[in-house]
Amino acid sequence: MTKWGMVIDLEKCTGCQACSTACAMENNRQPGESWQDVLYYQEGAYPNVKLSWLPRPCMHCENPSCVHVCPTKATYKTEDGVVLVDWNKCIGCKYCQIACPYGVRFYTDTKAPVEPDVRTVFAAADGKHTWSPPYKAPDGREDWTHGVGIPPAGVVSKCTFCYHKVSKAPAGVADLNEDNPAVKEYVPACVRTCAPKARYFGDLNNPASEVNKLIAEKKGVRLLDHTGNKPQVYYLTGKSAVIPSGRALKNT
Amino acid sequence: MTADVHRSTAPGAAPGGQALSTLILAVSAIGFVVTVGLVLSALAGDGHRAFNTNNDGLFWGLPIVTYDFFLLTSTGLAVTATIGLALGVKEFAAVSKRCLWLALAGLAGGVLSLFLELGQPLRALWAIPFSFQFASPLYWKVLCVGAYVVLLLLTILRTLQPGWSVRAIRPLAIALMIAALGVSMIAGSVFGMMVMRPFWFGGEIPVAFHIESVLGGLAFAVFFTYLAHGFDQDRLPAGVRALFRDRLPFAFTLVISLHAMFVAARTVSGLWSNADGLQVWQHIAASPLFHLEIWVGVALPLYLMIAPGTRSNGRMQILAALLVMVSLFVARYDFIIGGQLIPPFKGSWAPSMLSYVPAATEWLLLLAAIFLANLVNAFGERFVGLDDVPADT
Repeated sequence: MTKWGMVIDLEKCTGCQACSTACAMENNRQPGESWQDVLYYQEGAYPNVKLSWLPRPCMHCENPSCVHVCPTKATYKTEDGVVLVDWNKCIGCKYCQIACPYGVRFYTDTKAPVEPDVRTVFAAADGKHTWSPPYKAPDGREDWTHGVGIPPAGVVSKCTFCYHKVSKAPAGVADLNEDNPAVKEYVPACVRTCAPKARYFGDLNNPASEVNKLIAEKKGVRLLDHTGNKPQVYYLTGKSAVIPSGRALKNT
Repeated sequence: MTADVHRSTAPGAAPGGQALSTLILAVSAIGFVVTVGLVLSALAGDGHRAFNTNNDGLFWGLPIVTYDFFLLTSTGLAVTATIGLALGVKEFAAVSKRCLWLALAGLAGGVLSLFLELGQPLRALWAIPFSFQFASPLYWKVLCVGAYVVLLLLTILRTLQPGWSVRAIRPLAIALMIAALGVSMIAGSVFGMMVMRPFWFGGEIPVAFHIESVLGGLAFAVFFTYLAHGFDQDRLPAGVRALFRDRLPFAFTLVISLHAMFVAARTVSGLWSNADGLQVWQHIAASPLFHLEIWVGVALPLYLMIAPGTRSNGRMQILAALLVMVSLFVARYDFIIGGQLIPPFKGSWAPSMLSYVPAATEWLLLLAAIFLANLVNAFGERFVGLDDVPADT
């Protein structure tokens, strides 16, 4: 069985946020609802200042705490290893947000972080959706049971690994590589748009996949392994890149 | 005592108490309608954007604090009630009926706050019980609260029957006590199991919730019993007066002491540790509210209940109960909000420590819960006869 996973090479990542933008456009996310974020860390003081960054999608953990705590089974793990939210079952209790060590979940009904509030400017006329963006994907692609499309109010949303794409990939494929014309339509938006090609997406259960080779050869590491969540997103640090160990670093 | 219904015999208790409860009933009804109307209006217009919670890391705000505070108070009151009905400490039966009714009142306030905080409250009614999500503490909490509500209502119904007795009600009271303890334990586990949040994580949290629940139950029992009798110790029924002279101050002292030990242990270990997430203790310890909580809300009541000159004094008991009630709310606020102040992985998109001030709608929801709880309690005081004691005590 396929187990989709991602590898991010931090030595290649330039922190350009094209992945964040592509994700927001592909999945119609609101400002602040950053399913795919690039986190910046500033340490030290002038003239000894260091700026580092960390691209951070949902980790789609092997042992996801968000799935365990969800009291309605709205958050679940698919057979191909993707963690999704069923918006028809979510009650908006936000316990999954509490339990996620990576901060990758978003309640759809909080104050807008920037004004004007897009939910007011592009208000949904049907009363079912949180908003009606002018560039939204075709209605036929909407799939609330897999957390795809424009969500209703009062639920939690998260990165789906572009499930509307990867779930249609040919069976048995080892890697979803944007350079391969046969599979490029199934590649997650953040991977496909990554200019320095820092992202790789493939089957962690397939020993021949590029992601498995990279993890083995370049010593892929996972975020906050001590929590036992076992992310399916691995980072390659090489000789120079680092992963922040703390959740928050002071800007001093 | 041989009459079918055993009531207060204290002179003047009924007229004064009735006038006061009628006044509280009217004020609470008006207050509840106004505040819940304002909250519903804000939620209808803005949804949960009317709250000051956010996606940076502050997911549970004042409404959850209110819910947990009222729920734990309710279970503590149920435990206090069942000390007399289930454990055979007959002196406590003098306040059992009032405590049961107060438990119902507290539960009403808590459920109101929770339902207006949930994104899809109506869906929760069926989606949680039928999910069979055995791994989730919230699933078990809802099951346990469901059993607790049913048992509480059944127990109250039994106490409404003329000539009710400890012997007849004991099996139900034992089941209620177990359910109440189960709710407070799982309410603690909801936080204590979160290994990714060091401020909350730990097996001692459910134990601390038990203690805080019982402490709240005792404090509310003292305060509202005095309130029902015009804050006049001389108008207390003889059985209540005897309880408040001896056993209750002892139990109150014991539970405040246990609570103080937990607060001291958690504070010291939290301040000492440099684990990521525990730096919030420095922030909490620097807050005047925290010092108000521990010195005025824990140390002073403990002194008042230990000192021989004040422990049996009605006014000092009222003061101690009031201070404990307020300090437990502050403690619940510090615990729930404090556990979220260090944001999860957000980099410099969020400050290294979040700040949170509840929105007007959240304060109004707290007031609505307080008014509703007082409305239910005043109704009981006015129409139910909460001074009744079992026929066999």
